[in-house]
Parts: sequence; C-alpha cells; structure tokens
Amino acid sequence: MKISLLQHATASTSTGSGPPPVQRNLDPLVHPLSRARERKRALNASKMERMFSKPFVAAFEGHEDAVCSMERIRGQLGCIASAGFDGRIIVHSLSRRDTIQAIHGAHKGKTSGLAMASGDRLLSASHDASIKLWNLRLPNTDDENDPLDLESMGNDDREDRMRVDEPPPTDPDTPVMVYQGKVPFNSIHHHRHLPHFATASNGVHVWDETKSAPITNLTFGGSAETVDVVRFNMTEASVLASVGSDRSMCLYDVRTGKAEKRVIMQMRSNSLAWSPTMPSVLLLASEDHNLYTFDIRSLSTPTQIYKGHVSAVISCDWSPTGTEFVSGGWDRTVRIWKEGDGNGKEGQLYHSKRMQRVLTTLYTMDARFVLSGSDDGNVRLWKAHAHERLGVLDTRERNSLEYREALKQRWKYDEEIGKVLRSRPTPKAIRTAAQLKRTMLDAAAEKEDRRRKHSRRGETNPKAERKKVVVVTQD
Amino acid sequence: MDSLIARADALGPPRKGKHNLKSQNGTKIKPENTAHDPTLASVSANTRVPKSLSNNLDTDVKERKKAARTGRYGHIQDLKLRAHLSKMDQGHKEWQEKMKDVEMLNVGESGGLQAEGELERTWKVTQAEIKSAVSLEDAQSRAEWKLDGGPYACRYSRNGRHVAIAGRKGHVATFDWQTATIHAELQLKETCRDITFLQDHTMFAVAQAKYVFMYDINGVELHRLSSHTEPTRLEYLPYHFLLTSVSQSGFLKYQDISTGQTIVEHRTKLGTCRTMCQNPWNAVIHLGHQNGTVTLWTPNSSTPHVRLLAHMGEVTGVAVDGSSSGRYMATSGADGRVKVWDCRNWKGCLRQWNVRTHPTSGVRGAQLDWSQNGMLAVGSASGVNIFKQPVITSYHAPLANPPLYMTHPTPRSHIASLRFVPHRDLLAVSHSSTSTSPGAVSHDHFISTIIIPGSGNPNYDTTEGGDPNEGGKGRREREVRSLLEKLEPGTITMDPEMLGGMREASKVDETLVHRKQSRLQRLKETGKADESEVPGDEEAEDEENASGPLDKKRKKKMRGKDRSMKRYLRKKRKNVIDVATVSIRAKLDKQRQEIKKARESAAKKAAGEDVTERKSALDRFKV
Repeated sequence: MKISLLQHATASTSTGSGPPPVQRNLDPLVHPLSRARERKRALNASKMERMFSKPFVAAFEGHEDAVCSMERIRGQLGCIASAGFDGRIIVHSLSRRDTIQAIHGAHKGKTSGLAMASGDRLLSASHDASIKLWNLRLPNTDDENDPLDLESMGNDDREDRMRVDEPPPTDPDTPVMVYQGKVPFNSIHHHRHLPHFATASNGVHVWDETKSAPITNLTFGGSAETVDVVRFNMTEASVLASVGSDRSMCLYDVRTGKAEKRVIMQMRSNSLAWSPTMPSVLLLASEDHNLYTFDIRSLSTPTQIYKGHVSAVISCDWSPTGTEFVSGGWDRTVRIWKEGDGNGKEGQLYHSKRMQRVLTTLYTMDARFVLSGSDDGNVRLWKAHAHERLGVLDTRERNSLEYREALKQRWKYDEEIGKVLRSRPTPKAIRTAAQLKRTMLDAAAEKEDRRRKHSRRGETNPKAERKKVVVVTQD
Repeated sequence: MDSLIARADALGPPRKGKHNLKSQNGTKIKPENTAHDPTLASVSANTRVPKSLSNNLDTDVKERKKAARTGRYGHIQDLKLRAHLSKMDQGHKEWQEKMKDVEMLNVGESGGLQAEGELERTWKVTQAEIKSAVSLEDAQSRAEWKLDGGPYACRYSRNGRHVAIAGRKGHVATFDWQTATIHAELQLKETCRDITFLQDHTMFAVAQAKYVFMYDINGVELHRLSSHTEPTRLEYLPYHFLLTSVSQSGFLKYQDISTGQTIVEHRTKLGTCRTMCQNPWNAVIHLGHQNGTVTLWTPNSSTPHVRLLAHMGEVTGVAVDGSSSGRYMATSGADGRVKVWDCRNWKGCLRQWNVRTHPTSGVRGAQLDWSQNGMLAVGSASGVNIFKQPVITSYHAPLANPPLYMTHPTPRSHIASLRFVPHRDLLAVSHSSTSTSPGAVSHDHFISTIIIPGSGNPNYDTTEGGDPNEGGKGRREREVRSLLEKLEPGTITMDPEMLGGMREASKVDETLVHRKQSRLQRLKETGKADESEVPGDEEAEDEENASGPLDKKRKKKMRGKDRSMKRYLRKKRKNVIDVATVSIRAKLDKQRQEIKKARESAAKKAAGEDVTERKSALDRFKV
C-alpha cells in the first residue's frame, strides 16, 4: 500500500518588514462568489472615481472684464495667452500659475481673437478694427525641463525662474505691426505653415503678415452677413471654414479664393473647430444648446448631435487626440464630451459657484487639462479627466488604476454601478433648467404624436432629429 | 477641397502602396521597421511593464483586426462594436488557454492511498499503519484528546490551523493545534450547543443556553446577541460577514457582525431545528428538520427556496460538497439512511444506503462532512466511513453500500460531530462512549484527529485566508480587504453566476408610440436590429449536442419557420384579401407541403421502403 500525505508548496513564513508572502491558487473552485466579489470591487472602483473627482486646478486672474479668447503658445506646453473685453492680452504660465507677460491696453475695446503667428509672435484682432502683431517674451525652454509640472508647485524659487536672459529686441508692450481694417474684427486664425491669416468681420479676409491690406476677400455669392468665427483646417491647410450670424457655415478654398459650400442651419453657430485627427470632421457649437459634428463630405446631416447644455453653447475645442472635445456654454458650465457619445453620459460637467458665462474654452496640447475663460474675468484650469491623479505613478499603483478602469468598463452596464458612474454633481439651476427643457421637449413630442395620430396616414411622417438641423446646403 | 475629402480617411487602414515613400530627388526611401521598438525591450528586463503596455506588445494589431473581420462577430456592421466584441472574445479565449496552465502553477502535492496488489484494499488500512508509514511530523497530527464536559462540537479556522471546541456542559476552548498553544479556555457553566470562528481565529461565537455570545481571542466576552434565543446551530458566511443561527423555536436569524445589524429573521414553522450547514459556493443555508424535510434559505426570501422531503424521520446531518461548486448535498436521517442529492435537480437522490444506528444509546442517525477534495465522511454507530467521488455522486438505483475508501471504528460510541481540517489530510471526530462498570456509569468524551490521505487541498490561496502560516500583518491586511469587498446580503442567490448576466427581455407593449418604445423594439421595427444568431462557442455547441431528445424536438420545431412572411401575415388583418397576402399564403402552403413530403419520404427511407415516386404523365409540365 502506497501512503502519501499532502505536501504544501513551501513553508513560507513572513519575515522582516516586507509584504507578507503570497501564494495563489487560480482554480475557480477555490474562489466562491467570485463574480459577486468582482462586482463589489467594480462598485468600489466607481465610487472611488466619484470620490476623487476634483477637477478644478487653478484660476488665473489679471483681466478686468470677461475673457473672450485664448490661444495655446506654440512650443510651450505650459503657456497660454488670453484676451478679453478690457483690451488686455496676458500670457499665463500654467505650471507656475503666474503671469509671464501682460500687455495692458493692447486694444481699445474687446480683443475678440488671438492667433499664433510664425515665430514667437502673437496676432490679436479686436473690435477697434485693428489687428496687432506682438513679440512674446517667453521663458527659455531649455531651463524648463517639465513645463507642465503642476506637482512641484510648492518649491518655487521665484527669482531664479523669473529671470529674463537678455532684454528683448523691442519693447514687448508695443506691437511689431498694426493692420488697420474698417470694421470690427470678430475672429482671427493663422494658416498652418504660410505667413497668412484669416479674419472674420463683415466678410472673410485673408491677410499676408507682411502686407497691411487683405490679399483676398472671400464671400459666398455676395452675401454681406457678419462672420463670427473663422478657422483654417490643420491638415489641408488652405481650406477655411467660417460661421456667421446668418445661421450659415461656409467652406472656402484660399488657393482659388472661392467659397465652396454653404450650409444654412436652423439656428446660428457660435463656434467652430476642426478635428485634429479626422481632417474632414468639423465641430459646431450651436445657439440651440447642442453641438454638432459634421463630415464635410455630406453636409446635409450632422454625424452626431451632442445634447446636454441647457443654454447656448458659446465655444468648443477639440482635444489634440481627437477623441474628446470641450465646450463652454451660456449656462455657466464647461462640458467635456467623448466623440460619438451624444448624450454626454461618459463626459464631464464642470462648474463653480463663481464661474459665469463661459465664453472660451481650450484644451492643452497634452490633452490632460482644459481651460475656460468666463464672464467673471478669470481663466480657469481644469483636469480633462476629473478623477485623474496628477503626479508620478509607480507600477503597482498604475496597475491597480488600470485594473479599476477595466472593472468599471466591464461592469458599467450594471444598474447600481452605472448609476454611480453616470452621476455628476450638477448645480441646482442647471438641474431645474434641464428638467424644464425636458418637460417642454416631451410636451412638444407628445403633441406631435397626437397630431400624427389624427392626421391622414403618410402625411406627417416623423423626421429624424439629425435631419431637422440643416435647412439647406448650397454649392 | 477635393484633396481634403481625399484625406478624410487618413486614419483608415494603411495600404501597402502608401509605404513606398519617395524622397525629393526621386529615390525610394525604405520605410522604417516599426514592428519592433528596441527601447521597450531594453527596459523590460529590469522593470515590470504596466499591463496596458504589455498587452499591446504580445498581440499583433494586424492579426487582431483580421480576427475581428473573420471571427464570430464578423457580420456586425458597426466597426467599433465589432472591434470591442471581438477583443472581449479574444481575451476570453486567451484566458481559457491560460487557465489550462493553472494546474502547473499548483505545486503542492495531494496525498492518497494506492493499493499495490490485487488483494489489497484501501479500507483495510488502519490509522496505526498510516502513522508508521508517514513522516514523524505528520504522524503527530494523529491525536486523541480525552475531555470531559459532554459531547463536543468543533470547528476549524479557514486555514486549518486553529480549532474551537465547545462541550455540551460549557467547556469552550480555542487553540492552535499545531503548536499546541491555547488562545482561550472558558468554563461557561451552561449548555453550549455549537461554536464557530468568525472572520478569523481572533473572534468566535458560541451558541449557549439562552443566547449567542461572541468572544475575542483571549476569551473576553464581546457581545451578547440577545435576539438569537436558544440557538442550536451556528454558521458563519465569510464573504457576507453574516452570522446565522437556528434556534429551538425554529427561527433562522442572520446578523451582520461588521455592523451589528440583524439582517433578517425567518420563521421556518417546522419546529426545533438541530441541523444546519452552508453551501460554501453560494452561501445558501441548508436546514434539516424534525419531520424529515431539508429546506434551503437565503436572507431574501421568507419562504425556503427549496423544500425537500429527504427522510422518513428527523434529519440528523446535512453537508454540501464545496469541491464541486456546491453541486452535491448529503443528508442523513433517523431512518438510518444516508442520501446524496444533486442540488440542480431535486427529483430524487443520486444514491442512498443504510448505516448502523443505535437508538437506545442515542445514536439515531449519521453525522456527515465533505472534505475539500470531495470525500464524504459518514459517522455512525459503528464508526467513521469515508467515501470517495465519483461512486457516491453517480446514480445508483438499488440500496447498496458504496465501496469504502477508508474506515475508522469507534466502538460503542456516539459521534457528535465530524470536521475535515482545511488544507490538511485530517478529519476531527468528536465522539463519546458510555462504559457501564458494575455500580457506575461513566461517560468518556474524545476528540480524535484521524489521517485521511487525499482529503485536503494542498494548494491554498492567501487571499482567501487559506495560508496556515499567515502572520498578523497579512491577517490584518486581508481583513481590511475582505471588509472592502463585503457582499450585500441581498446578493445571496441560488445561482451565484446570475449577477452580471442579461436581464430577461421585458414584455413588449405594442401600443406604445415609436418614440416611447425600447431601443431594441425601435430597431426591430425599422429593421435595423441585428437578429442574426451568434455562432456559439465550442462548449455551447457540445452542450447542445449532448442535450436530450426534448431539445432536439424544440430545435426541429424552429426550423423552416419563415419569420418575416408569417409576421407579415400576422400583421395584416385576416379578413382583408389582397394580392400580396394571397401570394404569401400560397407560398407558405407550398413550403409546408414540401416539408411534409420530405419528412414522409425520410420516414419511409428509414423504414426501408422504396422512396422513388411513380412518374406521372403530367410531370413534364412541372416547373
């Protein structure tokens, strides 16, 4: 008779201060109720996400009136320029949370647009009918190893960082160049690589940096409407899009100097952004509380409607990854949207007690932060992913974060977990406005249903929401 | 503008031609080899790569895309959905592959008895023989403690290291049996009926005469659970932090020991209950009653989920097999029978046999326990018998004793409880014998541990609290983790895999307007719902093939059902006759005829008849 007793793998004992030794047996029979426990872990992970959702990072002061335009500084991850109704242009350092350069009285009246020109120069367009070109006094990039190092905020040695190596060639508070127009300018945008820029006023004008008068006037069929926003495509750099107060969105080709296509929509659009990764995708922020993405190959219907704001959407900007975008609205909220997620369930909603109407929003180039400029004269810095932990992660922590993300993805369809994941702290004003809007929309839909019920069959077919947006497309 | 449109699909799959770049002077530039990034490999030796990166390293993107196109979800139009589903599928397949290797990771060795000759029988091996054959350390684990203070109830901690005993007359002790150190020893001077450890060996609960009491490791009384009156049996559900007790008045009570809250009290309405066990796989409580019924309880229902008439007398023992995901239950009754049941199907027991009882000396039925490796210990008047799988769990109609694996006689004694020691080849038997010498009757009570080779699982899991050498730090850490993962009492169900499954489709309300219908309903109405059946994986197909004639019949019924045409006819009002409905009806009739004909000819063929039809002169006009 062979007699043998069980042998454990090793007689492991905990010694010293290290973590206790671990032996695993991955046989599912050893782990009863594993599915329920995994669900519990997912629920904990989703609650942790909500617990750590503290998106606000910093506010930047300096403007005396509303901030209405911002621009990323090329080559400087942690720098942005902002301009407002007070005619000031301020260059902020996001990592140091202070001002690098402030140009007081840059314009008389609202500075409606900023754009980076070639080199370290900034263009500003204003309602005082002038465009000015400024030399920027930027910190030396060699000194700054980690320009957006928000964690090392505690130990700032100011004198060392604020030193300027050599005096700038010209006085930074006087423009290098002034381009004088006849009417107020609403927007400005620079060509990707040529020294050209486009402005929006009573029409779209294309300028050469070296010439004091526009080189091209672009209009669609002689319409003389005010144009609000103008943006160059970043991939096909000579294509230009504009939105105007006549509810139109228009596409131009700068090389031919002709308007190519025009779309008239139900409501006017307030802002416009080209997708950085999908060259043919265009995002519009509309007055009717919605955002729309269009594929310019078929302009008759938007590819997606993004509903969520409870008032007009004033500004929008794509993340450099092209998978998300940020929008700021008249309802005093900043929202972040996942591309394709039309009801914003996976996005974010940022608000603060003191933040007023959001007039401009911007993503930083590393896609980790968003900026908002609002009516209260502050520029605010937010995390793009509300619960993201800033700072260096070690591998164990990163692995557990990834595990938690995977758990959330896997269990998000569970009723309880989904509820936690979708919950967003919303101010009461927004909530009541949303409820009111919902009631009104429901009532309208109900009325439509009843009308259809009592009309002859086929006379009033329901129209898809996407097909209601565009009134007419013109070539 | 045209060039922009041409660039619109810039992120689409790269074509081969695109790679042939030309430099300005016309010479071809070789595309850089991007398949392998040497910098990643250089660090990988010295550091752990995060999981998200390592996953990307070992699976080729191209292959994954190809699998998505051609795999089981290839018919789905939505590219993102298709990619997501096929990624999940791929992950599941990889997991299945990896689970095959899990066996290799378990390096602990199981014990066993193996007969070498034709005439050798494993049940003939005695404890003395085993003791002489195994190492000195293992031999020492065979022990016999003589105690006084009534028949004892005993219980082991989850790592098998600590044991708690409670004598009927009030002697309660917990100790580490390997190092023989006593944690607590109490003389409670009242009836103690059961004892159980709580989340670990530092706390235990005792079912005393009136109430349940909780004590800490030093024997200090922590709580008096006065809502649990006259308890007879205790069970502790480790993942829910629930202490359950059943009382002489027939109440089953659940109490959360982390918050102190009484979760629920169930009235069984079946009188005093003296038998209880838990199903470790789904945390369902099994109770055995005086009238021979066994009932299954969860905190969520005030009536039992299963009510089973198992025996013709009182149920004296219930045990559930944890090694087979709680599939088998064994019961024993005062009618002298032991029965093994399949918990998925309560139509009848799988196997039953008789054991020896001795009603005059109080041995009315057997005591039972299942080991971690699926061995069943049956303690009766003659001693302890051990049976092995699969003979006790395979169906066997006549009333015959299954072949024994081992036996251990305890002559003239009454077995009070049996407990296998987790992660050890040991069984603790608590038995008491009565010896009548002239002029005096003396009672002797024993707890003896006997060696049962092959009964324990050698591969413990530290996270499940199975580590016998667990230190204080590890124990505390595990306690915090398990508290974080504490399950709600509401999640206890008969089928623990139900969580995370699909909810049954709700009844479709056809009167709703299009706008108010569910998404699936709307998609179906517009013809956009994906109703193609997903080709099942191999397991599901195997199951289908193995299923009985009933399933086959159902399957046949579905075949040939032209859904779209029938639906069309159903929707049309029956009294309206128009061209379309007439033609569809005719078509359906024709189909039905053909199917009928084919079936008849097949039947004829099967019966060996001639199936060739007689030709008619009019056949030439057939289409």
